Amino acid sequence: MSTTVAPQTFRFVKFDAALTARVADGLVVALGIDRPVCIEIDETTPLARLRADIGDTITIYAESGALEDSKRPREQSETATAINLGRILLRTRDRLLGGFGGAPPDDQLALRQMAAWETYTVGRLARLGLTINQQRWRYNFRNRHGFTDAADAAFDELWSAGGLTWGELEAISSAV
Amino acid sequence: MRKFFPVEELARDSRFSQINMRQAQADPRSGLVNETVGKRPKTNRLTPDRADASDAARSLMHGIFVGEIQALEGAGRTCHDFETGSGQSTDTVPFALKLDMARQAWDEARHVEISVKLSDWMGSEIGQYAENTVLFEVACSNDPVLRLAGVNRALEGLAIDVFTTMKEFGDLAGDPYLEFCEDWMLADEVTHVKMGSDWLRRITEHDPERRKKALEFQSVVDKIFSFGGTRSDSTESPIGLARRFRELAGFTDTEVEQIAEVSLAALEDRKAFATASLQATDG
Repeated sequence: MSTTVAPQTFRFVKFDAALTARVADGLVVALGIDRPVCIEIDETTPLARLRADIGDTITIYAESGALEDSKRPREQSETATAINLGRILLRTRDRLLGGFGGAPPDDQLALRQMAAWETYTVGRLARLGLTINQQRWRYNFRNRHGFTDAADAAFDELWSAGGLTWGELEAISSAV
Repeated sequence: MRKFFPVEELARDSRFSQINMRQAQADPRSGLVNETVGKRPKTNRLTPDRADASDAARSLMHGIFVGEIQALEGAGRTCHDFETGSGQSTDTVPFALKLDMARQAWDEARHVEISVKLSDWMGSEIGQYAENTVLFEVACSNDPVLRLAGVNRALEGLAIDVFTTMKEFGDLAGDPYLEFCEDWMLADEVTHVKMGSDWLRRITEHDPERRKKALEFQSVVDKIFSFGGTRSDSTESPIGLARRFRELAGFTDTEVEQIAEVSLAALEDRKAFATASLQATDG
C-alpha cells in the first residue's frame, strides 16, 4: 500500500512529493495503518495545521509549515515531515482502533484536550525512534494545563503511556 | 582590529542559517494573498488562546535571541568604529556615548544569555529557526547618528513592542519565567531607546540637516522593522504597538502615531509584495 501525495510539483515551496510519500509509507508500516493514505499539501500557507478525514482512505490535509525546515524557509524537512505526519496518523489510528469513540472531532477538541492527546501521541513516536524534543511538548502541555508540578506529573504519565482510551486520557488531563 | 564589519562576515557556527529581509519577504506564502484569505484566523495577535501559541511563541523567542546577538554586535561596533571626539563630524563620537554603547552591549549580552535559557525552557534549540540579519545591517551606517536613529530608536523601539507582547503572553499563560524575564529585559530596552533619543538630540543640536537625515533614516528603518506588518496596531499583526512603554522611552505622541502609520503601510506593502511574488512565480 503506497501513499499518494498531491500536488506532485510545487510552486510556492521547494518540497519533494516522493520524499513525503516515502516518509509516510514508513509511518504507515510502523504504525500498522490498515488502509491507503492520501496526503494533500496546501502550499499556499506557511501555517502548520493538519487534519484527517477517515474513510476507506485516510486523507491527510497538511499546511506547508507542517513539513517545512524552520532553518530554511520554503524547503522541506524530513524530520518535521516524519514527526508531523506521525502525529496525525497516530491520532487517526487511535480513532480507528477503538477506545476513542468518545473523543470529539479534531476541530471540536479543546486546546487542553488536544495538548493531552498530542503528549500521548508524541511520547509514543519518540519510543518508535523519531527525533523529538520532549521539552517542546512539555512547554505546550504547561501552556494548557498550568506551570505546576501536578501538570508536569500528568505530562510524564501521558508521555510514557500506551494503550490509553479517550476516557483515561481525559481523566489524566482533567485531574490537573 | 577591523572597522565597519560587513553583515556577511558575522561570526556564527554551523547551527545558524541566515537569511536577509528580501528573502524573507519574497515568500509568497507570507502575505494575505487572495487565494488564502478565507482560511486564516481573524486575528494573528500572539496570545495563548491561539491553537499554535506554543510554537509561535518559541519562534518569536528565537527571533529575540538572534536579535539580541545582532544588537550586541551593533552596539559593540559603534564603540569601536569611531574615534573619540566631539561627535560633530561623522567619524567621531563623544566618549560618554561610547560608555553608553558599552553599557548597552553589556545589557544585550545578558539578554542573549536570558534568551538562550528561555528558549531552552520553551523547547527550542539554538539555530532552530532562520536568522534574519536585517538588524545588524541597520547598524552598519557610516554616521553614528544614523546608527542611533536606526538601532536605538527604531530597533530597540521594536524590542519594546516585542517584549511587551511576550510579557503579556507569559502573564496570560501563567508562565512565571517568561513574564519575569521579559519584564526585566523590557526595562533595559526602554533605557536603550532613551539613550538613543538623548544622544541624537545632543549631537545634532546645531546641525538640523543631520538630524533631519537621521530621523528620515529612522522612519525607513521603522518600516523595515515592522517586518512587513508583523508589528502594528492591526490585529493582523502578531505583535502590537506598545504605546505606553514607548511613551516612557521618550517617544512623543506624534512619533508614535507616525510609527503606527508606517507599520500599517508596511503590512499593506507586504500583501502587495506577496501578490507580486506569486504572479512572478506563475509567470
